[in-house]
Amino acid sequence: MNPATQPAVRGDASIHAGAWAMWLAAVVAALAVSRNPIYLALILAWLAATWIAAKYVAGALDAERAVPLSPLHFGLFVVSVSALFNGLMVHVGDAVLVRLPDALPLIGGPVTLEALLYGALNGLALTGLYAAFILVNQALPVREMVRLAPRAYYSIAVVVSIAAAFVPTTLRQYRQIREAQAVRGRRVQGLRSWLPLLLPLLTGGLERALQLAEAMTARGFAGASTPTHDVWTQVSLIAGIALAAAGLLLRLVWGAGALGLATALIGAALVAGAVWAAGRRHPQTVYRPAPWRMREWAVAGGALLTAAFFVLPLPGLDRSSLFFYPYPSLTPPGFSLWIGMSTWGLLPPALAMVGPALR
Amino acid sequence: MIHFRHVSYTYPNAAHPALSNISLDLPQGELILVVGPSGAGKSTLLRCINGLAPHFSGGSLAGSIRVGNLDPVQAAPQVMSHHVGFVFQDPEAQFVMDRVEDEIAFALENAAIPPEEMRVRVEETLDLLDLTPLRDRALSTLSGGERQRVAIAAVLALRPEVLVLDEPTSQLDPKSAEDVLSALVRLNTDLGLTILVAEHRLERVLPYADKILYLPADGSSPLLDEPRAVLAQIDLAPPLVRLSKALGWHPLPLTIKEGLRHSRRRAGNGRAAQPRQESVAESAVGARTPFLAARDVAAAYGGTEVLHGLSLDVYPGEIVALMGRNGSGKTTLLKCMVGLVRPVRGDIRMDGRSIAGRDVADICRQVAYLPQDPNSLLFAETVAEELAITLHNHGLMARRSGHALPDDARELLRTLGMAQHAESYPRDLSAGERQRAALAAIMVTRPRALLLDEPTRGLDYTAKRQLADLLKGWRAAGMAIVVVTHDVELAAEIADRVALMSQGEVIAQGEPAQVLGASPLFAPQVAKLFPDSGWLTVEDALQTA
Repeated sequence: MNPATQPAVRGDASIHAGAWAMWLAAVVAALAVSRNPIYLALILAWLAATWIAAKYVAGALDAERAVPLSPLHFGLFVVSVSALFNGLMVHVGDAVLVRLPDALPLIGGPVTLEALLYGALNGLALTGLYAAFILVNQALPVREMVRLAPRAYYSIAVVVSIAAAFVPTTLRQYRQIREAQAVRGRRVQGLRSWLPLLLPLLTGGLERALQLAEAMTARGFAGASTPTHDVWTQVSLIAGIALAAAGLLLRLVWGAGALGLATALIGAALVAGAVWAAGRRHPQTVYRPAPWRMREWAVAGGALLTAAFFVLPLPGLDRSSLFFYPYPSLTPPGFSLWIGMSTWGLLPPALAMVGPALR
Repeated sequence: MIHFRHVSYTYPNAAHPALSNISLDLPQGELILVVGPSGAGKSTLLRCINGLAPHFSGGSLAGSIRVGNLDPVQAAPQVMSHHVGFVFQDPEAQFVMDRVEDEIAFALENAAIPPEEMRVRVEETLDLLDLTPLRDRALSTLSGGERQRVAIAAVLALRPEVLVLDEPTSQLDPKSAEDVLSALVRLNTDLGLTILVAEHRLERVLPYADKILYLPADGSSPLLDEPRAVLAQIDLAPPLVRLSKALGWHPLPLTIKEGLRHSRRRAGNGRAAQPRQESVAESAVGARTPFLAARDVAAAYGGTEVLHGLSLDVYPGEIVALMGRNGSGKTTLLKCMVGLVRPVRGDIRMDGRSIAGRDVADICRQVAYLPQDPNSLLFAETVAEELAITLHNHGLMARRSGHALPDDARELLRTLGMAQHAESYPRDLSAGERQRAALAAIMVTRPRALLLDEPTRGLDYTAKRQLADLLKGWRAAGMAIVVVTHDVELAAEIADRVALMSQGEVIAQGEPAQVLGASPLFAPQVAKLFPDSGWLTVEDALQTA
């Protein structure tokens, strides 16, 4: 699509960065909790739908922010490697496919269907995580991503976003240098011949970083040098983190549920307060803040719904189907209609992006 | 407006001061052109105005600087950014965000400008630099000139009274450079903004400059005066000024229009113009076989075909200039000739043999290729080591022989004027020296052909002349040379043949006088002054006149 013909009104298909963040968190939570192949398949299907909607229907993906590997290639690679690794390392399971000689260290022993399958499922979950991160990264302009960070940490967020922007430039530079070395008669021969590639890449990268730092200084960007945190915010920040950790420990290790939860909540509140207080001292304004509309409510609500069903012990919900474990012998995965339906909560971004295109 | 009093500045760990005892008074509202040989301290001087030196670079500064009623050393860059906008050489190296509008708003957000005012300022700035149609575009989709205009807009949004630009066009092709410079002129004439611009392409800015600030290399006191007065005293000058000085035209013309008044008078009573002297290669071209021959070459780059059945011969002992718009396939053609890009159709022959299936390293022993950015070639500790590594790569020198270079490699360094830099760290050298170090690294195998991609980008007049002399020397020694360039004056001076490319095809080729002289876009200044004379360079004109 010719960018010049894009509507001047920002973002027909845009979704607020905060909503995207919640969606991402829900995907991560769901993929982290369950290895049930049915739920995995559902989540991956919705991810694929979102990808197609973003890339082909809304044209909302920034193709210039090149990624090293497309999710599809990543998936092919990771699923096969993970299956192979698990199959060779874990010798548990009833369905023995082959038996490697016991004399072989580590990999010797039976290779089972169960181990291969479980490895593949892990690979699929990883692929889902990768795809979701890449999708959000390409769908959000840098500015919006920087906004996700609390105001007190704005400068750190800017630095991180710049670091991310360096990846494609560095890849381009790597190609240039490889060509330049080839025309000097360099043939790839062992590790030694990589040095001529790495050194100019490194010095070039440093030079560019310095140039950018200088340009940002000239435009009045002050990095970490301005004292934005006073002693009290520092103390409450550290105390908050410590309390939150202690609360989790109390709850998980010593089983003191209520006390642990209370301690963790107090800790979290302290951290939030400290970040808010630090942010207030950091003067900064926002140019054309992204609006929070119906679609953002839908995305956020959907994400909360999915996350709740996967993570919280909701009363009356049978969560046993989440814990799929193929050893010692394969059993068909369980399925809860409620949890399955809750994965629909991941779909609003796709709908929000398709909607304007249909109109 | 800007006052320097006895300012000296030394970079950290530097033996000599970059600026010594400078006193200047730069007037308000003028467009001031800052010129001088590389290493004279132009960049340093500009960086003193907004406090980057010493705040960003460290080092020690003596004397006093005032900008308006502020002292940049005391105020520091964060405050100065509201008074002095600073634009750098490479537009890509100064962007933080990825979209035009976001990039312009970035500095405003940091400065905590209220949102309503921010909207107004961003709109104004977009209008000032004609960026409104591009406001939603990703920066990566813009051309070089558009990017540099966004960079200017990004600093103008803070409404500075002074705009400082450090060689803003040196990385751009002529069309983009023109865009940027005309934007600057508009800002100066319409808003009365004080503008300081360091610039090598004098011919483009001269007509608009109110003053020239000349910084000599030897550290003596700078010259600041009307352009004519300064140009009369210095060597750095575009062809028009050089010719006028040699012929004693007075007052010194700064534009072709002014120059034509003198040249018409001269052509009126002079004898008939003689064609340019015979080029060295004239005799060579007829008889011998081409050293490099591209036959019906088609090549694709990233899925799209960029060369469509192109043919070009390069003979030993001649220089061919390849010219044409950005994206016309010039670089791809060079890459095809050394095997970095493999043609999808057609054939490239080197010395009568096809290069298909041959290794890049193998080809490059015979054909040296200097890419656009010579930095990507350099990585060794010393210049001498760069040469040793190339020799070693080609198996022409034993590994680790203490970098005792063979005699002919030493000789090459002398030819390039780099003998005294043999033990220097390549990346510490000036742009011109770095390029010659890179040339040394690729020429040390004594190749029979040399391909150069935009070799004059970022070079000052002195470095350009040195390069031209080198290439002429190699041509006399029988090398086949191809130069991809936007630099009309360079092509006019050295080329035996010019090939114009467009959309992956050679659309015109022939002698420079025919191809360049006739074109309104590519005609060098001398050809514009003496139309139909067949002259292209100052030397042509002086010899006949």
